[in-house]
This record gives sequence, structure tokens and C-alpha cells, in this order.
Amino acid sequence: MNNSGNQPLTGLVDIEKPLTINDYKARGGYIGAEKALTEYSPAQVLKIVQDSGLKGRGGAGFPTGMKWSFVPMFAPDDEQAPDNKYLVCNADEMEPGTYKDRLLLEGVPHQLVEAMIIAGYTIGANKAYIFLRGEYHLAARRLQSAIDEAYQEKWLGSDIQGRGYHLDLYVHTSAGRYICGEETALINALEGKRANPRAKPPFPQVSGLFGKPTIVNNVETLSNLPHILKNGVQWFQQLSPNSDAGTKIYGACGRVKSPGLWELPMGVTIRDVLYGHAGGMQDGLKLKGLLPGGASTDFLLPEHLDTPMDYDSIAKAGSRLGTGGLIVLDDQNCPVAMVLNLMRFFAQESCGWCTPCRDGTPWAVEVLARIEAGNGNAEDLDTLAKLCDFMWIGKTHCALAPGAVEPLKSALKYFHDEFEQHIDHGCCPYHQNATGGH
Amino acid sequence: MADTSEQITIYIDNVPYHVNRDNNLLAGVLSQKLNLPYFCWHPAMGSVGACRQCAVTQYQDENDTRGRLVMACTTPVSEGMRISLKDTASVDFREQVIAAMMTNHPHDCPVCAEGGECHLQDMTVMTGHSARHYHGSKRTFTNQYLGDLVGHEMNRCITCYRCVRFYKDYAGGNDFDVFGSKNQVYFGRQSDGPLESEFSGNLVEVCPTGVFTNRQFSAHYTRKWDLQSAPSICAHCSVGCNTSIGERYGSVRRVVNRFNDEINGYFLCDRGRFGIGFVNGEQRILTTKGIKQQSPDRLTTLDVAKSLVHFRGKKFIGIGSGRASLEANFYLQQIVGNASFCAGFTAKQMALAAQHNQILEHHHIPSLLEIEQSDFILIVGEDITQSSPRVALSIRQALRNASIEKAASIGIPAWQDSAVRTVGGKTLSPLYSLNCIPTKLDEVSEQVLQISPAMIERCIAVMCQSINPDSEQSEVSTSTAVLNQQQQAFISQLVSSLRQAKKPLILSGWTLQSPSLIAAVNRLVACIKRAIEQQNINACALNVAIFPDEANTTGLLSLLDEQTLSTEQVLSQLEDQQLAGLVILEQDLSALSDTELAMLRERANTIIALEHSDSRVTNLADIVMPVGAISECDGHFVNYQGAVQRFYQVHAPKLPIMDNWRWLDLLRMSVLNAGNHTNSPLVSHDNINSLAHLHDFFRHCCQQWPLDIQVNDASELSARNVARQTHRTSGRTAQTANISVHELKAMQSKNGSKLNNFSFSMEGVGVNQAKDMPFTWAPGWNSNQSINQYQTQVGQALSNKGCNAHLAILNSAQLIPQWPINDAEQLSGAKTPSAAISEDVLVNFVQSRPWYMVDTQASFLPEFALMNKGNCLFISTEIAHANQFTHGQYVKLSYSGYQAITQLGIDEHFNGDFCYGILDGLAKTDTNITVQLSQVTDDEIAKYIEQQKLRAQQLAQSKANILERLKERDQFIPVRMISGGLDDA
Repeated sequence: MNNSGNQPLTGLVDIEKPLTINDYKARGGYIGAEKALTEYSPAQVLKIVQDSGLKGRGGAGFPTGMKWSFVPMFAPDDEQAPDNKYLVCNADEMEPGTYKDRLLLEGVPHQLVEAMIIAGYTIGANKAYIFLRGEYHLAARRLQSAIDEAYQEKWLGSDIQGRGYHLDLYVHTSAGRYICGEETALINALEGKRANPRAKPPFPQVSGLFGKPTIVNNVETLSNLPHILKNGVQWFQQLSPNSDAGTKIYGACGRVKSPGLWELPMGVTIRDVLYGHAGGMQDGLKLKGLLPGGASTDFLLPEHLDTPMDYDSIAKAGSRLGTGGLIVLDDQNCPVAMVLNLMRFFAQESCGWCTPCRDGTPWAVEVLARIEAGNGNAEDLDTLAKLCDFMWIGKTHCALAPGAVEPLKSALKYFHDEFEQHIDHGCCPYHQNATGGH
Repeated sequence: MADTSEQITIYIDNVPYHVNRDNNLLAGVLSQKLNLPYFCWHPAMGSVGACRQCAVTQYQDENDTRGRLVMACTTPVSEGMRISLKDTASVDFREQVIAAMMTNHPHDCPVCAEGGECHLQDMTVMTGHSARHYHGSKRTFTNQYLGDLVGHEMNRCITCYRCVRFYKDYAGGNDFDVFGSKNQVYFGRQSDGPLESEFSGNLVEVCPTGVFTNRQFSAHYTRKWDLQSAPSICAHCSVGCNTSIGERYGSVRRVVNRFNDEINGYFLCDRGRFGIGFVNGEQRILTTKGIKQQSPDRLTTLDVAKSLVHFRGKKFIGIGSGRASLEANFYLQQIVGNASFCAGFTAKQMALAAQHNQILEHHHIPSLLEIEQSDFILIVGEDITQSSPRVALSIRQALRNASIEKAASIGIPAWQDSAVRTVGGKTLSPLYSLNCIPTKLDEVSEQVLQISPAMIERCIAVMCQSINPDSEQSEVSTSTAVLNQQQQAFISQLVSSLRQAKKPLILSGWTLQSPSLIAAVNRLVACIKRAIEQQNINACALNVAIFPDEANTTGLLSLLDEQTLSTEQVLSQLEDQQLAGLVILEQDLSALSDTELAMLRERANTIIALEHSDSRVTNLADIVMPVGAISECDGHFVNYQGAVQRFYQVHAPKLPIMDNWRWLDLLRMSVLNAGNHTNSPLVSHDNINSLAHLHDFFRHCCQQWPLDIQVNDASELSARNVARQTHRTSGRTAQTANISVHELKAMQSKNGSKLNNFSFSMEGVGVNQAKDMPFTWAPGWNSNQSINQYQTQVGQALSNKGCNAHLAILNSAQLIPQWPINDAEQLSGAKTPSAAISEDVLVNFVQSRPWYMVDTQASFLPEFALMNKGNCLFISTEIAHANQFTHGQYVKLSYSGYQAITQLGIDEHFNGDFCYGILDGLAKTDTNITVQLSQVTDDEIAKYIEQQKLRAQQLAQSKANILERLKERDQFIPVRMISGGLDDA
């Protein structure tokens, strides 16, 4: 049996020309799916995924097997059974600084198709959607041709590989909202409704797409499945030196020498990613801080460089692993400007449902813009602190605003002096000629 | 929701409270009359957790000192739960929510129609937010033209989503939505245009601030605190929605909803809300006709007596109406004698009344609250959305029961609105519709049959057989053979749904004016009840409701007896020269053709009309006595269920306009004399000077008086009355400050506090001291949301709710044999199409009357009349082909004396052998008739189009005139110190 190596997710990636179904199969593809369909019952696959310790790679890190276990299962003749269940792949990758799913979608689309067969089989879904970021045109084309091939080769459609399992898979290109990363907002968008997150309960596992049991998983999460099925739980756990199993696609952007993506064992240190793979800071620049997992995570400082990039360790350091994409701030860029830029994004992407997010994020933008322009006053820092509290977890309808607050809140903590300099000097110290005003 | 649920104990700031287990924490807190601000939650619409305003801190136990913030509206209550409203964290957060909303809310309160009754103002004060820390600019929106009824000012929006949740989710409207995202969320239509929902006016009350406003009210504006209000009953259909009418300086300003848990709840239809404008209309009769006035200053009782003196001892026929109060109709019947009383019904309507009375006599008629609990509904021949719109709103809620049940099965309570809608999706409880015309409820119906009235009756007969196959009832011999496949499928699906239903409802009405239809409903109801008894059907009880056409039709039905005359009998009796003439009470005799009316005029020696608006009857009457409209007088209406409801005088009208019963009293004094009516105790009684007095009089003098309710409920109260005006009425906002800064002396009731519940001033006891509240207000709660403070539980019955009297109807046994169901043609003999000329087409016609045309009084309103965009007639493709009609062409429609040019439409979804449509000026009784269609010349079309244009111009002018006159009149405050009759002022 072909081993998936220590870079199972990206091992078969070919950005120039992704593998056709035959080449993909020749390189060990669809073995995981075949094993699942022939050797295991859905309950057994679920057990394998639970045992593997796979956690959601979309940012929240929720155990995948546990998420699936909430889907109600029915005997074939059960009258209570819903007429359908759904599997949805969340490929609406819109987190600033994050582009890992794009690599998998464009580079190895069959891996995702195979993964969705396994996941769909496990939860008993007969219809599956890939909810794809609208701007990913190339991925849309490549996914569609992979799906077409899979239909031809009887890996999709009715009676897959003669095993009696039926799955239809569709690519749905999003109209483009960051909030669609929130699974219930995604489901609403898929139904043709406004992309507002739903009230929970009911959770999608019970009442999701069109009111039916639904699982929404991230691209990277799903892409692990063929390899777990093919190589087993032990292999998967051994990929990582710590308690979080498997590999993770890490990335780095900002003014580093070689920005990019690297599939590494779960739990390598920040230093390893930043200096071992991204080549460290560009010449003449010093590291000032970084967001470890995309735009909605707290800043970490150079002192945190030796923190392992797994869910627990990063949380202990005061941030979140998120998507694992580092956004690096150097010492010649203004942290206030960076936070303002991010906050503008979140204010723009608020769905407008709950007050703290809808009216709090633009308020934070207004204050930050004034400070950055040199028109801030001492009260503004209190206002910002209050706003951070106002939009914090438990006070909003979904996680967007608390995510938006994370960089701001940590910047106020770590870069307080810079904020005060802006106010005291009436200009941005990073822009010598700043005159203030908009 | 009936208040039968279990109470549990929760601790709010360490004080134990008993709250309802089945509702959320916010409702629990508000039910304790504690102050907790909120926006997106609405007691009738449930929780969605959008505004985050109702956050409280919840603690795990007594030892937990930190707690965590929860949104009260989305949090269920549990035994022993501990929360705080006063802790710093939640207090600060609630203030910040307001602060965040205020970043975009304009400071235009002084020019905002909501000012003084704004929920946002109240909540802002409640949270303590008083200073602004936001320095940025505010976002602005473009407002839309939403029609003549509802105004739009989007900049005031705080994005609570209540409007769209009401309009789209609750009321099923599909021309209003939410657009955009982030802090640019826009609520409106896709493009400018009149709102299409019959419930659009509720946006004004649902919106917590001034985004949606009542345009009639804004045009002639006054603050809530300057209004004089009294509890009233909507006069525009038979549902009997409770309203509160507001008046200032002699003109009616607006109608708002008055909460009644069993009937209208929180919502009115647009006819009920805006139709009140007719009180200020140009058609109002302000003076008497045929009564000689001695003094130029005013009319006196003596003047009236002198004018009527020559009728002393003479015999009159009285014609009552469903528009007039129970008291007025009863009084008229007593004065003329039962044998000379006509309800204004034709013989056919008498047969309809007899059938309807049988249902009223033998079945409990459900309230709207009970209708909302139905899990199966069959509508028979009634476009209820147009005829009694508020009922359609309740039907839409009933259809959600299947969703609510589905959600409950996975543990989601009914109040979790968005969650229930997620789980429910498109699941609806079954609604079956047997109608002649397409209706708005079709889109939420399980199945719809659009067939002729005769086919509806046949379908019902087949339904009966299918429910009880062994039924002996074979008076209508039917077989499924008469029905086509679609009709058979409809019936079999309907019957199988019915067998699963627990609370089925059958609903019909008077729109088709068909006694045989109601007889068919009667048979169906009997058949289902038998099936329930024999356990062929699971349901525990069957509800049936018939909706008559006018506010007090049911009251009128209770007065019918074996002597009651039909209009046909009136016409023939008038030939008797002994008769002095007719007394016509608020009745425009629309069922009579012009020929018949002319005959009536010719035969009657004298016609005395009591009326508030010009009509074809007042035009030809010898004596016209101007009576008060709904806001100007006292009385009771009996709604479709038989519930007797009081409406109170809001303001005393300018004399000689008086209560209809005051005029009738003058008539009694003049007409009856001891010589001719020796046995009548009516003769010698003194003048009546209040409604309570009138009731006393009825109780003592008339055995037949059906009501035994205490009108004089002043005794329930402490010594003082309830004020019709708010505490804050004051001279500071006097609109006449340019003339004098003094407010007028408050008007006195003729009989002081003893006989009236309400004072014409701001002096009196609190609003909730009366069973019927004149308006709603509570300390800290200036908006309509203050009603929370007066309910036993939020959203449930008022704490001071009295017991509503129900009228027992016991006369169907006399009426049915006397008014049998005859062939329809035979009855409407006077009205037939003129003989067909060769190319003319004879076709059956069913009239469609949109909600703004249904009620005579409301259709006086120019805004409503303008909604009618011209005649239209719909036919099937088949009829169109057979007669070479094309879509959009004009034809002439003739029926009896009526003739109209109308545009033709071809309805592709319709395959009936009849036509339907909207025809201006056609009497409501003229439905299910044979009409004649003929060709029109180009000249006739051009003339018709010209007339339509002219009509629209005249209406627009009339609208402008009314407003101008009202504003002018504000400068001449009517000086009337005492409310009462002619001699009291």
C-alpha cells in the first residue's frame, strides 16, 4: 500500500496541472474511499475518525468525529428518517492572510472529492455541496472537471462502485461574504437566503440545510480523511509529535523573506515556521508581532516564538491557532494602521444582524482612523477598550465580532505606547509627514 | 397562549419571582412589571436575539459572583435560576447597545411623528444612556414612497428587524424585505411603490422608532400626549377588533391597536387603522334636513318636536342596519314595532341570516385566538383576506402550528422564532380553499379549488358522503361522478387531512351572499360532528366561523324574529296608505336597484333618514337627522362570534350631530302617543340622556332586550373616571397659541361621573382602571409597548379584563321555515340581465371586492378610493377563445340597471365557466349573477378612460380639501362645554 508520507495533504498537489482521476488513483487515490465503502460500515468510519483525533482545520479546532456523531442515524426502513441529509464543504476561504484551502482546491481536487465521498457515506448524506469562494475561478473549474471525472468513473452518482451508496456532489460558488465562513450563515446563503448566522439550537447536525441534518467541514479537515482511512489512526497520530494529531498547512505573509505555505507536523513552533520555512524577516526589519492564525486572532510577540503551533499551546500564549496562517508585523509598519485596516475589513463584512458587531465595528474604525490620522484623544483608548468588551464572546450573535476584536484588544495590550504616541504627537510616528485629518 | 402553564421560581437580584415556565426569560421579567429594555423581541413574534438589548447576568448558583451575560429573550427559564438586572456588567452592556444604535440614529425627535411615544426614547432613558461619545458622521439612506398610508424615514432605523419579521414572516407579505449588510441594512421595497399587504399599517406600531409612520396622522399631526382617546371597536367588518381612537380639537387623528388577547392581539388591518379617516370626510352630514330651526344659533329639541308633531300616533316602518349599534337597531325596532321592522335584508339575505343563525345558535364560534390554534382549516367561498383581513392574519399563524410542533419535537420552544422557522422550513398545517376567485391565501394553501358557487356546494355534498359514507342524509343526492378528477383528488386529500386533525376549523362568510352555501356549511359541520361522535375522525372538537359583512350584523341577526320584514315586503307594504313612512337607520339600501329605490321613494309618504354620510337614501329623504360616526357616539357592536363589545364616545361632535339613539329618542317622544300605543311602556318615559340610561330604560320597558350587561360600570371604579387624555396634556403645545395660550376648559359629561367611565380631560384615575383602556401608557413606557405593564403575563390577557358578554341567538327555528332557500334567480327577480342581443355573451359573474372597497364607510376615504385602478374582469382562456375575447380589451358589462365598461383579463390558471372581477359601483349583493358582456365602441372606451382620470383627479383634490379644512378648523376650536343632547350644550 502506498504510504501517504509525512505530507499527506499536499503530497499530490500539482498547481500547474492537477492529477486526473486515473493519475490520482495511480498515486494511491480513492483507496481510502474504497476501504470506507467496502470494509467499513458508516459507524465504523465514524469510530475511526473519532479515534484519529482529527480536529476542524477551519479555525475553531472542534473534533471532527464528535461533530459528526451528532447527526441522527436511521435504519433504512425508519419512517422518521428525513428524506435527505447534506454534507457541505466550506471552501469560502476569506480570512485575511489565509490561502491554504486554495492550494488543495486547485492542486489536488480529487482528494477533496474522495474525502467528501467518505464523509458523506459516514453521515448518510446523499447530496453534498462545495461552497466555494466566488473569486476562486480556477478552483471552480478544476473541481468541476474532477467531479465530472468522478461521475464517469462511478465514484459519484447512484450506486458508487457498486456499493449501493448514492452521492451527488455540486460546486456552489459563493456571492462572496466573509460571514459565509460561519457554517449556519453558509447554509442560509446556500438556501438563497441572507447570509446571517442562525440561532443555535438547532445545530446544523440536526436541522441544517433546508431543515435537514447537515455537516459543514473545512476543505483541509476533509482532505485528511482519505489518508486516515488509507493509513489508519495510528499513522495519523504519529504524524504529530504532540496531542493534536496529523499535519497542518501553515503559512506566513507580511514582510518575510519567502512567504508561502508548508505542510508540517501539527505543533511545530512559530519560530520553525517563520525562520525555518519563511526565511525570517526581510533585511533591515525586525519582528514586532504576529497574528498566528489569520486576521481574527490575537497578536503574539517575539517572546512567543517558541510556542508550538497547536490549538492548546497557542491558546495558552493568549491567542488562537485559527487557520495557521501567520500575519507578520515588522518594526517599520504602524500597528495602529494594521489594526485599522483589519477592523475596516470586519466592519465591511459584518452581516448586520446584531448590534455590537453591526454598529460596534464601524465605531471602532472611526476611532482608530482618527487616532491613526493624529486626531485622537485620551478618551479614545477607553472607548476602544470598551468597544472590545462590548463585542466580546457571549455578547454577539456569532464569532465574527469577537474575532474582529482579537487583534485590536491584543494591540491595545502590547502596543499601548504606540497608540499613546499617536495621540500625544498628533500624528502617526511611522509616517513622519503625517499631518492629521482624513 | 392560554395561561395554563406551570409557574416556577426564579431569583432576580436575589428576590424570588414566579414566572411562566413556557416562556423566555425576557417575557418572565417583563411579566413581573420589571424594566428590561428590548427591541427585536415582540410578544407576538417571539425571539431572534438580534438587538442584544435585553442582556442580563445569569449566575450558576448563590455562590457565583461573576455570572455571564445572556440575552434574556433567547434564554429559557428554569427552576431556581438566578439572574441580575442591576449588576454593573449587564447595566453597562445595555447602555452600550443603545450607544451603538445611537451612532446612526438622527437627533430629529422634535420633528419625528414617533416623538413622545417612541420605544427607542423610552429604552434610551431606561438604560441611562445620556451622553454621546461617537464622533463620526452618520450613515444616510434614501427613503421610499410606500403609498399614501405608511411613511418611510430610514435614517431613523436601528436595525431591529421587527418590520421585516412582521411584514414577511408574520403577515406573509412579499413586496417588502431587508437589503444590504453591515451597518447599511435597508428595510423597504425593491423600488418605490405602495405596500401591497393589507397589514402594512402595523409597521407603524411594530417599529420601535419613527421609521414607519402613519401618513394620515403625520399630515394632520399632534403628539400622543395631546390626544384625547377612548376605547372603540372597529366599524369596518364583523371581527370587532379593539381600537383606540385619538382626537384633538374636534377632528379624529388616528386609530391605533387596542390589545385584546382573544381578538386582535397586537395587530389591525389597514382598513381598520386608516378607514377612520371617513369621520373627517367631505361626505359627512353636518346639519339636519327637513327640520325647521327657530333660532339661528342652534337647533333645539322643540324644533325637532315641532317638525315631527304631525307624525304623532302614525305608523312607520323602520329599517335598521348592521352598521348601527345594537342599541340603535333595538330602539328602532321597539319604536316601530317588531312587525314593522326590517333589517335592511332582502328575502335572500333573510334566508342567509336564518342559515347563519342556525350556526350561531348551535355552535361555539371561535375567537381569533382559538382560530390561531387550529391545525386544519377549510375556507368555503370567502376571500377572507379582503373581507375580514384580520382573520387571514390569524389563519397564517395557525398554519405555523405544524412547524411549531416539529420544533417542539426536538426541544425548541415556540417563542424561539428564528429557530422554529429554521426547523419548520416550509412546513405548514393544511389549509384547503374552496373559492370562486383567486385569493392571497392560495400560496399557503395545501390545495385550492377555484370553482363556481354551485360547484362548491356540490363538492361539500361529496365531502359529507366521503366523511360519513353510511350517512342517511340523502336530501342532496350526489355522487362523485359530478366532479372532475382534480375536484375528487381535492376532496380525498382534504378528508384524509381532516382525519388527522385535532382542532379543525371551517370558515365561511357572506361575501357570496348565498344562503345555500351557508346551508351546505351547516350540513358539513353536522356531518363532521357526527363523525367525531362516532370516532370516524380523531378531532376533539370542530370549530366553525361565519363572517358576516358588517360590524354589527350579528347584533342585527339577534333581533330578527318571525315578524321581521324583508326589503321586498317593505316595498309592498308601503302601498298601504295608512303608513306615515319609513325611518331608515344608517342604511344605504345597496341591495335595492335604482328602480326599486325609486319605487320606495314614490310609495313612502315620508322618509326619515338617520345617517352620518351622504348616501343615495339621504339624497331622497324628507328628513335627515345627522348621527355621530363611530368616534362620536356610544354603543355596542356584536362581532361575528356574538361577543358584545362597547365603543365609547371619543369626542362630542358638533351639534346637531348626535348619537343615533338620541335622535331615535326624540323620534319616540314625538311619534308615539298614548292614544295609539296604550300598551307601550315606551310612551311615557322621560328623555334618555346616556347609554347607561338607555339600557336601564330597555331593561325596564322592553322584555326583548337581549343584553343584561351593566353599562354603568363606573361603579366598578373608585369614585373617579378614567381620563380620556394623558397626564401630559398641557397648554404648552397648544396649536392655537397664536390666538390664546389658554387651553379650553375641559368638557363635562351631562350626567357627571356617575354614568360615564371616561372624563373629557386629563383628570382621572390610571388608564388600566377601566376594563377598556382609552390608550396605553405607563410610567417610563410612553409607547404602545406599555401594554406589557397591564397584562397578566406578557402577551396574554389584560389584568383588568372584564368578562365579555356573548349574545345568545335563539331564533333560527322561527326563521329557517319562514325564509327557505329558494332558487337564487327567483329571489333576485327584479334584477336580471336585459334580453340578450345576438352577439352579446351571457356569463355568470362572481364579484371580487378588495379590502379597501368592502366597507361602505371606509370607502369614503379618498386614499382607499384611489387604490381602485379601474374595473377589471377575468375570464378563462376557454371563454376567451369561444367568444374571441383578447387580453386587455374593453367590454361593456350590463346587469339589471347597472352598466360598466371594464377591461378584460385572461386568467390562464382559471378554467371555470364563469367570470370574476372588480367593478366599481356594483352593490355587494350583486354577486353570483348572470351578466351580459357586449362590445364597446372606441368612443365609449375613450370616455371611460377620461372618466377614470377625472375620478382620480377629483379624489386627489378631495384628499387635499379635507386636509386643508381640518387645518383650518384647528384654528376654531369647537366650544362645547357639556357633551350630551341638543339642549345640553
